[in-house]
Amino acid sequence: MTRKPRMGYVAGGPVVGIGLFIVTIAVLPSRLLGQDSTIGKPTAVLVDGPREGERAPDFSLPWASKDTTGGASWFSLSGQRGRLVLLAFYPRDFTPGCTAELKTFTEQYADLFGDDVVVVGISADSLETHQRFAQSLNLPFRLLSDPDQKVSRKFGSADRNGYNRRTVYLIDRNGRVSYTDLRFGALDPKAYTRLKAAVQAARRGA
Amino acid sequence: MSLPYSRVLAVTAIFALLSVSGAGAQGDAGIKVGSAAPVLSVNDLDGRPVNLAQWIGKKPVVLEFWATWCENCEALLPRFREARKLTGDRVEYIGVNVTVNQTPARVRRYMEQHDVPFRVLYDDEGASTRAYQAPATSYVVIVDAAGKVVYTGVGAEQEFEPALRRAAGVTQ
Repeated sequence: MTRKPRMGYVAGGPVVGIGLFIVTIAVLPSRLLGQDSTIGKPTAVLVDGPREGERAPDFSLPWASKDTTGGASWFSLSGQRGRLVLLAFYPRDFTPGCTAELKTFTEQYADLFGDDVVVVGISADSLETHQRFAQSLNLPFRLLSDPDQKVSRKFGSADRNGYNRRTVYLIDRNGRVSYTDLRFGALDPKAYTRLKAAVQAARRGA
Repeated sequence: MSLPYSRVLAVTAIFALLSVSGAGAQGDAGIKVGSAAPVLSVNDLDGRPVNLAQWIGKKPVVLEFWATWCENCEALLPRFREARKLTGDRVEYIGVNVTVNQTPARVRRYMEQHDVPFRVLYDDEGASTRAYQAPATSYVVIVDAAGKVVYTGVGAEQEFEPALRRAAGVTQ
């Protein structure tokens, strides 16, 4: 895909390099997310995940739940075809603040999602950490381990230092992105209202 | 091989730009210390708007963004009770319930069961959460009497007391 912005070596000397850098910043503001909703700081991470209506890139990752680390069974996005899938990228397990997003997903699972939605959380943590985290919150869904953030980068959700930004992607039954929130506000009640409405719309095939 | 001065300067400039735009280590919390505290209205548990302007810029204010399900918030309660004893009414203590996975009834029940040392607000619009860039529950913001943010922190292990004592002018 030609639209994917890349950061790399800039040939042509420093003046051209600085010029290209500034032009990149100016031309692609919508692809430069200004703020991580989790840490509230500006970032310089280029964001280029699939947009609404586009096919979600396939991936496979190992998973853990509160009961098991999944063993040899990996989660594959293409293997979920025919079901609604919510990908919830989040910074890390056991961050200092209470984990409003995953707690809320857990306590309001039936209201927000229902049985026909496959919810998975994704961060760079190990399966062992994921399992302890899932146990601590009694999570009713799986956590995928993406240690080198390859998948998080595909979905424009990798931040620096091994942390993810907090984003959600809702994938419809045909594997297309039906809803994104690239600054999911874990403490913003409206973020959950919008997500719930998006799930209902996707369920109707809207 | 020595690099031309202009090239060194250019590379330095690029790194400076990158470091500024990516400022802040992971885990840093919310609104920038030193900035003016946002002044806005937040609903109380009865849905009545409460304007923070009646305190911000007039006296030191402690805000905690909290929820009944937040263990870290509960762990902080005894420390806020102690702080309140120390500063008395010189400081306004406000607990902004984030309303995520909450109802006013649940909050009221919690308040009946716990000695909550705050004036409790219920931000069902999420306006203050956004304005103060709250990254998580247990997020504490201390605003001095001039209306400037002097402290932010998150989690049960944070040490807000020194900043609070300074803001309140307490020497102890």
